[in-house]
Amino acid sequence: MRLLKLISWQYVRKHLLRTVLTMAGIVLGVAVFVGMHTANQSVLSAFNKTVDRIAGATQLQITAGESGFDEEVLERVQAVPGVRVAVPVIEAVVNLNLKSQGNILVLAVDMTGDRGLRDYDLEEGDDTVIEDPLVFIAQPDSLMVTREFAAANGLAINSKITLAAMDGPRTFTVRGIMKSSGLTSAFGGNLAIMDIYAAQKVFGRGRKFDRIDLAANEGVAVPDLQKQLSGMLGAGYEVESPSARGKQFESLSSVYGMLANITSLFALFIGMFIIYNSFAIAVTQRRSEIGIVRALGATRGQIQALFLTESAILGLIGAGVGLLFGLLIARAISASLGNFLGEIYGVAQKADEVSSDPRLLFGALVMGVVTSVIAAWIPARAAAGVDPVQALQKGRYQQLSAGENRVRRQVAAGLFVVVFFCLFFAQNRIIFYSGYFLTVIAGLLLVPTMALWLSRAIRPVMKFLRPVEGTLAADSLIQSPRRTSGAVSALALSIALVISLGGMARASYNSIEEWMRIALNPDMFLTPTQNITDRSFRFPAGFAEEVRQIPGVAYTQVVRNSRIMFQGNPVMFVSIDVANLRPESYLPAIQGDSKTMYRLAAEGKGFIVSDNFAELYKVKYNEPLELNTPNGRLSLPVVGVVRDYSDQKGSVLLDRAVYVKYWNDDSINVVRLYLDGKTPLATMKARIEEKLAGKTRLFIFTNQDLKTYIIKITDQWFGLTYIQLAVAVLVAILGIINTLTVSITDRRRELGVLQAVGALRSQVRRTIWLEAIAIGVIGLVVGLFFGSVALYYSLEMSARDIAGLRLDYTYPWGMAAGLFPVIVGAALFAALGPAEQAVRGGLVEALEYE
Amino acid sequence: MNKWIFVLAAAAFAQDARQIVEESQKRNRSNTQQYEGVLQVFNPNGKNSEKRWQFYRSGNYGESKALLRFVSPPEVKGVALLIVNHPDRASDQWMWLPELQRDRRVALQDRSTRFFGTDFSYEDLEERDVNQSDFKMLGEEVVDGQACWKIESTPKKGKSSQYNRVVMWFRKDIYFPVQYEMYAKDQLVRKLHYRRIEKVNGVWSALEMEMFDVRRKGRTVLKSDKLQYNVALKDELFTLQSLRRGE
Repeated sequence: MRLLKLISWQYVRKHLLRTVLTMAGIVLGVAVFVGMHTANQSVLSAFNKTVDRIAGATQLQITAGESGFDEEVLERVQAVPGVRVAVPVIEAVVNLNLKSQGNILVLAVDMTGDRGLRDYDLEEGDDTVIEDPLVFIAQPDSLMVTREFAAANGLAINSKITLAAMDGPRTFTVRGIMKSSGLTSAFGGNLAIMDIYAAQKVFGRGRKFDRIDLAANEGVAVPDLQKQLSGMLGAGYEVESPSARGKQFESLSSVYGMLANITSLFALFIGMFIIYNSFAIAVTQRRSEIGIVRALGATRGQIQALFLTESAILGLIGAGVGLLFGLLIARAISASLGNFLGEIYGVAQKADEVSSDPRLLFGALVMGVVTSVIAAWIPARAAAGVDPVQALQKGRYQQLSAGENRVRRQVAAGLFVVVFFCLFFAQNRIIFYSGYFLTVIAGLLLVPTMALWLSRAIRPVMKFLRPVEGTLAADSLIQSPRRTSGAVSALALSIALVISLGGMARASYNSIEEWMRIALNPDMFLTPTQNITDRSFRFPAGFAEEVRQIPGVAYTQVVRNSRIMFQGNPVMFVSIDVANLRPESYLPAIQGDSKTMYRLAAEGKGFIVSDNFAELYKVKYNEPLELNTPNGRLSLPVVGVVRDYSDQKGSVLLDRAVYVKYWNDDSINVVRLYLDGKTPLATMKARIEEKLAGKTRLFIFTNQDLKTYIIKITDQWFGLTYIQLAVAVLVAILGIINTLTVSITDRRRELGVLQAVGALRSQVRRTIWLEAIAIGVIGLVVGLFFGSVALYYSLEMSARDIAGLRLDYTYPWGMAAGLFPVIVGAALFAALGPAEQAVRGGLVEALEYE
Repeated sequence: MNKWIFVLAAAAFAQDARQIVEESQKRNRSNTQQYEGVLQVFNPNGKNSEKRWQFYRSGNYGESKALLRFVSPPEVKGVALLIVNHPDRASDQWMWLPELQRDRRVALQDRSTRFFGTDFSYEDLEERDVNQSDFKMLGEEVVDGQACWKIESTPKKGKSSQYNRVVMWFRKDIYFPVQYEMYAKDQLVRKLHYRRIEKVNGVWSALEMEMFDVRRKGRTVLKSDKLQYNVALKDELFTLQSLRRGE
């Protein structure tokens, strides 16, 4: 403690700016980690909260995927002796075009029995609306809303709301305003209650329910009832507690969670290098102090403990500040992240509040401290190993010994040999990830050597550009690779991350564009929902025929997308009349023969699966795929594997006849429309609207509209990663500032001598600027190289463990070129402050330094 | 010996109670019934409401079918309820909603809920066969100045009901029920009182009934107007098709 006060505290006070910059690495790493995870958690928590609040006293929920099930299932469930109350539910998110928050969650229930599960306490309105379900259900335009929603939209009893129902716009009447309670806080308070039979019409459900909520009789064990109901209904039905819906959403959005993990851990990793760099320099600068303390009797252990404690304290403060920033980031992005995830996965939630998990916050705090301590470990050991006699001699300490460098290169070479062998056994997940880890370690070991070589390589260029300043800057780098290597490592890692994700983005765009060219070739798409991933509304089966009758329409194809549980996960099933599919829409088979694959699928003799589905669920070509359906077990072989981007977690294509037969669902999500080519698109759009818009909910997308929409979603997805990467690059910039600040302090005497012998301030400035640019360029070159390797591993990780998508290796040359001015600009920006610091010091003081 | 005498006496009492209920059902038996009802609901918060309906019944206890159709207020006009009673199990009930043009089944689990916002429950509308319950004579009491038998009814094993027991008072002179107390989990939940007891078409009838909900402190008065017995009603009136046609 006394050493801390005497040595560390004095050092920190003297180098306050550098200490802050050192901590900034941890601050940003922890902030990104906490921000990304808390935002993700807030979205999940909002979803779970909505599920929980809506569930009320519900103990079990019965579903059969998104296709729903016939009304008669309800009677069978109600007849089970252990069931106290079982009520049908339809749930849908609807945009009411009101001025407030936009979407509202409509919970449609049978009010006769539903009060056995949920409380509907009215604040305003005739009590009989809820006390007498007859009044509510006798008027199918009845709607109950929450107090919050009513206040936000200026609604009162008997206010009218127009809702775009399946059969055209319908006016609803607010017949009750609910008091604030658990239920009313679901979906951020944007909740409306409607009669279920009215909702069947409004949402185009036919005579089907989405699910059944139920509670057991007193004394009946819920797990026993669950088993009994599962047995009675068959495997095509899911009988789960309400919380299982949260797990399904979590499983759907796991890709985002994983991406958040990778990026934030990368940010922390980069932060670690900044700390390592700072401590390595601090040890070097404080050699004389260490020498004195050692000479006075301090042990090696005490010196090591001193530096580790210092790093732990810095880590703790940095992590604490990072937590606060992280929560601010989460607050800023959780609502938009919620909307974004909702748009991608078609799952309703409203994340307006930040939900922080104390375990996550504590974990981040520990991670910050541990990262800091690990980063300081080697410098602390070096400090402990300082010889008191040598330490008290003046000299340069930044130089790496030839022997040290050789050892690093040898270890790196050895690791590369191991990595090479790992590639041969990469099927094994542990070996694959070990290979990746060892590649990173080997790369980092090579950074000082590469930095040295590159410094030497660019010296002539720098000398050519500015003979005096360029030479001085290059020599500074060549003579002190230890000082530079930390910043170069951090920058290289950031750039590697940018390149690997940029490469993945490029590959994704290429593949998606190719997929869209083939699979999405109709001229128009008609949907009942504004958002193509939302399946709240569906067209009735006869709708396609109505469309076909419109002059100018040559051909129609109907599609029903539905998430169905497969191996415990909601998987996207795309049912289409395969025989009616145009050959130019055939996706080429990756496994199997295209023609045979489509013929067998059309005959209802097989499934066509996407490559990511096959990869994620270990499904093999020609092997049977077994599904539990409401009408029993369906077992068909996989007749082909295609590259399909209908869903991030994979998709299964099956013939519509098979789907209708096994899921009793003949509704339609999308009608694909081919025109006769004689009528202009705009005219056709107007004609379709004129014929159908008054009768049904209808959104018309032209081919270009849909493609633009998909590209927009893809942009948003990668845009999100770019935001994360911007933070990672910021960490690297901090590294450069830190390095330059240290470099200037280190070279105060040298810079002082330069000025004493006549160097101009502008020359000193330019020297520092050039040094920064050189660090940036070196980091960039090393990073671009590392990125090429990281891209390979990222593509493999994506295929294996994230989305199952196998993408082609495409190095993002355009992005690499674009990074050059960004990094040079950032380096120059980073150098501005330190350069000013270098020229403003007193000459005498500078000459007395050391 | 004394113990045996006590058991035999209890058995005789039980037999009497059942016979009284049977006699009551026999005396008040009619092939059909129709009336125009007025339901007045007096809520504890002071808000009162009134609904009017037309009621038709065919058949008797345990095998009867009933149809009631609302005529006012406007928001419930045309809504109808079809009740098909069974001797061996709970009744089947369907509701018709004219605005939606569809019928919906009232689930058994919902029978304990309030009937159309009144203090009656759906179950209270059922006419139960005497064989669905066990009866026990509790004694004799005076109600509204009339001497009555006090009889307890409990559902037979396997028969579902929200009430674990119902205490009934039958007028000794005319074998007509005048008061009911319904208990759920041995807690008094509802009280039904018959008033304006008159003979109509030779059948003793209560032209006014008042149900008091003990828990919510609300009461509902049902008044019968234009009551007639043994009028000609077609069987088709009591079918789902008829319900759907809104006849």
